[in-house]
Amino acid sequence: MSIEDDEILQGFIEESLEHLADIENDLLTIEEGGADIDVELVNKVFRAAHSIKGGAGFMGLSAIQDLAHAAENVLGLIRSSKLIPNPDIVNVLLLAADQLQHMIEDVGNSNNVDISSHTTALNTIYEGGEAPVAKPKPERASAANPAPITVTPKEEPELIEPEEGRADNSFEEVTDESEEELIEEQENHTDQFSATIQESAGSTKTLKPAVTLQKTDTSIRVTVSLLDQLMNLAGELVLSRNQLLQTITSGDVRSAEAVGQRIDLVTSELQEAIMLTRMQPIGNVFSKFPRVVRDLSKKLGKQMDLTIVGKDVELDKTIIESINDPLTHLVRNSVDHGIESPEERLKKGKDARGLIVLKAYHAAGQVVIEISDDGKGLDGNMLAEAAVKKGLITSDQAKVMSEKERINLILLPGFSTAKKVTDVSGRGVGMDVVKTNLDQLGGSIEIESEVGKGSTISIKLPLTLAIIPCQIVMTGGERYAIPQVNLEELLRIPAAKVKERVEKVGDAEVVRLRGNLLPLIRMAEVFDIDPTYYDLLQDETRGDRRLNIADRRSKSTPLFKEEGEPPPPSREDEFSKQRIANERRQSPASALNIVVVSTGAMKYGLIVDRLHDSEEIVIKPLGRHLQQCQGYAGATIMGDGRIALILDVSNIARMAGLTSLDGSERGKELAEAAKESITQTRDKQSLLTFSSSPKEQFGVPLNQVERVEKIHRDNIEDIGGRRVMQYRGGSLPLISIDEVASVMPLADRNDLLVIVFHLAGKDVGLLATGPIDAIEISADIDDVTLKQPGIMGSAILSGKTTMLVNIFELMKISNPQWFEDHAAYAEIDSSNEKIPTILVVEDSNFFRNQVKGYMTEAGFNVLEGEDGKVALRVLEEHLEEITMVVTDIEMPNMNGFELTANIKGDNRFKHLPVIALTTLAADEDVARGKAVGVDEYHIKLDKERLMECVHRYAKSAMA
Amino acid sequence: MVEPKKLTKSIIELITFYVGDALCGLDILKVQEINKLMEMTKVPQSPDYMIGILNLRGQIVTIIDLGQKLGLGNAEVSNESRNIIVNAPGEHIGLLVTRISDVIMADPDRIEPAPANMSGIQGGFFIGVYKTENKLIGILDVKEVLRIESENLNRGMER
Repeated sequence: MSIEDDEILQGFIEESLEHLADIENDLLTIEEGGADIDVELVNKVFRAAHSIKGGAGFMGLSAIQDLAHAAENVLGLIRSSKLIPNPDIVNVLLLAADQLQHMIEDVGNSNNVDISSHTTALNTIYEGGEAPVAKPKPERASAANPAPITVTPKEEPELIEPEEGRADNSFEEVTDESEEELIEEQENHTDQFSATIQESAGSTKTLKPAVTLQKTDTSIRVTVSLLDQLMNLAGELVLSRNQLLQTITSGDVRSAEAVGQRIDLVTSELQEAIMLTRMQPIGNVFSKFPRVVRDLSKKLGKQMDLTIVGKDVELDKTIIESINDPLTHLVRNSVDHGIESPEERLKKGKDARGLIVLKAYHAAGQVVIEISDDGKGLDGNMLAEAAVKKGLITSDQAKVMSEKERINLILLPGFSTAKKVTDVSGRGVGMDVVKTNLDQLGGSIEIESEVGKGSTISIKLPLTLAIIPCQIVMTGGERYAIPQVNLEELLRIPAAKVKERVEKVGDAEVVRLRGNLLPLIRMAEVFDIDPTYYDLLQDETRGDRRLNIADRRSKSTPLFKEEGEPPPPSREDEFSKQRIANERRQSPASALNIVVVSTGAMKYGLIVDRLHDSEEIVIKPLGRHLQQCQGYAGATIMGDGRIALILDVSNIARMAGLTSLDGSERGKELAEAAKESITQTRDKQSLLTFSSSPKEQFGVPLNQVERVEKIHRDNIEDIGGRRVMQYRGGSLPLISIDEVASVMPLADRNDLLVIVFHLAGKDVGLLATGPIDAIEISADIDDVTLKQPGIMGSAILSGKTTMLVNIFELMKISNPQWFEDHAAYAEIDSSNEKIPTILVVEDSNFFRNQVKGYMTEAGFNVLEGEDGKVALRVLEEHLEEITMVVTDIEMPNMNGFELTANIKGDNRFKHLPVIALTTLAADEDVARGKAVGVDEYHIKLDKERLMECVHRYAKSAMA
Repeated sequence: MVEPKKLTKSIIELITFYVGDALCGLDILKVQEINKLMEMTKVPQSPDYMIGILNLRGQIVTIIDLGQKLGLGNAEVSNESRNIIVNAPGEHIGLLVTRISDVIMADPDRIEPAPANMSGIQGGFFIGVYKTENKLIGILDVKEVLRIESENLNRGMER
């Protein structure tokens, strides 16, 4: 062999592989065109084959040259319209292209590959102007399929080694030999037992990863302009460094600041640019699917089209590489299980050709890949049944699951729906493997499906793996990072509430969180860290000597032992525990800090000592010696140079023995307890309480609050007669309650709170002071005594009279112009001859008056009913007038569900839209409501959404 | 300690150090650096012989307590403790030693096979023993020291 120059050879390989990648899709297009030959396209393929032939000849790669030559001949015939391409001919060409690709990826051994079967097939076509009799199939299998079972690697290596001048081949790797053998071996098999091989044609995948790995390791193409930009930035960085060094010697603080800023800027730009070099279009992965779908559908006797959208969406190279397998699996699934056979489709009244859509797009800083088909879809009930049968969930759990949850059961480990294992997708790898793969990439998967109409699988992926946002927490004096993708929310349970909110179900600790029970995991326990707690007052982490007092309390309140640690105000007090018994409960140190995390179906709370900020971190791998520690996903270096470990949330759950759907006694108990707690809290309203002046306490419905920010008085700017502050790159208008309502003026303090609301499409901030708290109250609200503009009423909360703020009114009075052109606040055109009438059904006077207020304000006529029974009577009397019903769910005599069922079941009323109001839109309720015919769900006091919806229905009723 | 006569190719340089009271040596070519960074991050659930991980100029380095690994008990971190950073496949690993001694030139011919037990350390950890006029230096087998014991492999999943 005369390979002199590795670089030239490398260039040839890269160029040829690029050509081949194009050839495949072009050939498929040619096949589709049939007799209608696109000369341009054929020309392109012809030229590609030609240049491969030329290059191979130059390099002395005779086998590649011969094969390319044979293919070129056939293409030449097609080009001159002497040959009409039919699927058989294209098949032969595709196989030849596959073979070429294999040989080029393994150039060193290419001359030993037996290509006679390909060349004969091609030459027969060339000479006869026609395709050979049905030979292609087995050959295809041979080219693509390494079926490891049949290989007995005994003689080949010896045969090959001596005649190879391989010493100077830089890219020869261990895999070469085995791959070579595989190909050789199969060549032989092809001739002998073509039938057997055909059977295993499905498992093309096995060899692919090894090949791509080898290929991608070599190099990456980067545009010169990007490289120039990088050079430029590197230069800038050097300049900045020089400046920095100068500044350090001169000790000039002011210029240090400037240099710091400059370095900050340059590094972030540099980072971005380098990131760009790693970005590759997802088309690289997508482009192979037309072939996969074509081959597979042919094999299965199905007809389908594949539409690809968003080829240009770019993703990090590593993600592109690892997304390949899961995507292939999903596409195969769609072809095999999703799309029905043509006969079946015609029977169902669908087009005989199925449609698979592969779509990639950006959304919210992530890349979404959707695979949708119009096939038979997934049956949630069947999935749930199967899951129960396999013992993955209990039947009780199955009952309370929503349709979506049921469909997503398919992602559980140990779940495989295929009744029969086919060689196409039922290869013992289920969807759970796909999910695990995606989890590793920091992505997520979601399935939506409708029986008979098809299913859509969406995969969400981060743009890059190199840098991820993380929540930093502290336990046992060390910091840990929790990836933001796993983070749901942060929860702090004050010491006084621990007893109330945390309890034991079975032998697991759970916390009540908005009506659901959330299992808790103590990080210190799982990792065997000596328990510690963080003392806010002293600003230090102390060992938790809880054992001293644990036993005394452990029986009645198991959790308390963990947190009931004295706040040690002084040395002496530590010894007189009795004396500080009361303080102990109130100490901020014994509050629980919980990070609510989720991984797929699982959601739990991780108890840590302290919560820090969220930071963007760079992932660094852990050493070999730490691979066996399951709880970590890697490590990162913090700003102060120390290392923080990154937690692997799903493994921690496993280590703690927590599986959300393990069908255990506990799961059942959890489901029951959750149900119970929902019923208990159903008619409660969550309030955020705060102060504005030292003596008055206010409350506002929690679900209206977007965020609460701590600010300093200096942050407030007094501009143009208004108070604003800078917030997320814009100005946030600020108001205080005393501007509108006659309450005491805002306390003159430096540390203020801003409660951010989202109203009429804008953010507004309400100035307040601490302490703030979130509490649940029952609907015992006095809407007479303290009512005034901006205040909707009052309630007694933990012994304090609390005024409930009507944020809408408040804003409307202080900024009337905002609400003028917003849909939710539009007033009904009173010149209309008929004003819509709404029946409001609600047992609580307070809520009824509130809702009624919203509607009369907007110009609607309102009728009232205290419960379902009364409502039905009103309906009978005023049937003509009423346009819609707005109802509460929890009511005496007849509840909202029953009322809705009655309305929808009565021919006179069933055209009326029913809007249900709840304090908490629990999934289960929503499902039940939908079942009886509730048109829409809204949260009480969420005026904006409610009114927007009322207007919508009113308009359609009028039309 | 330096032998002045022979400076031929075959001479190897050994860095020597104490693990507890035992004097050990290591081929200098296997060592990347010696430092006294002690700001380590503990890793819960890690094997006993691991002290923690360290940020070495942007790289995460695993630090192994050599005393514990060799079966001599925990090393106490003192002013004289040092980390010897050695090159391992794909990463760097730090060996925490009690204190550092000299670098010596050793004639490979005079390296003898290690006894089954040397100063309480199993002979398997040594490539050989080098005798100077007044000392006995056990030359460590880095591969053996860094080998991962299989008994630890399942620790993480115990719970």
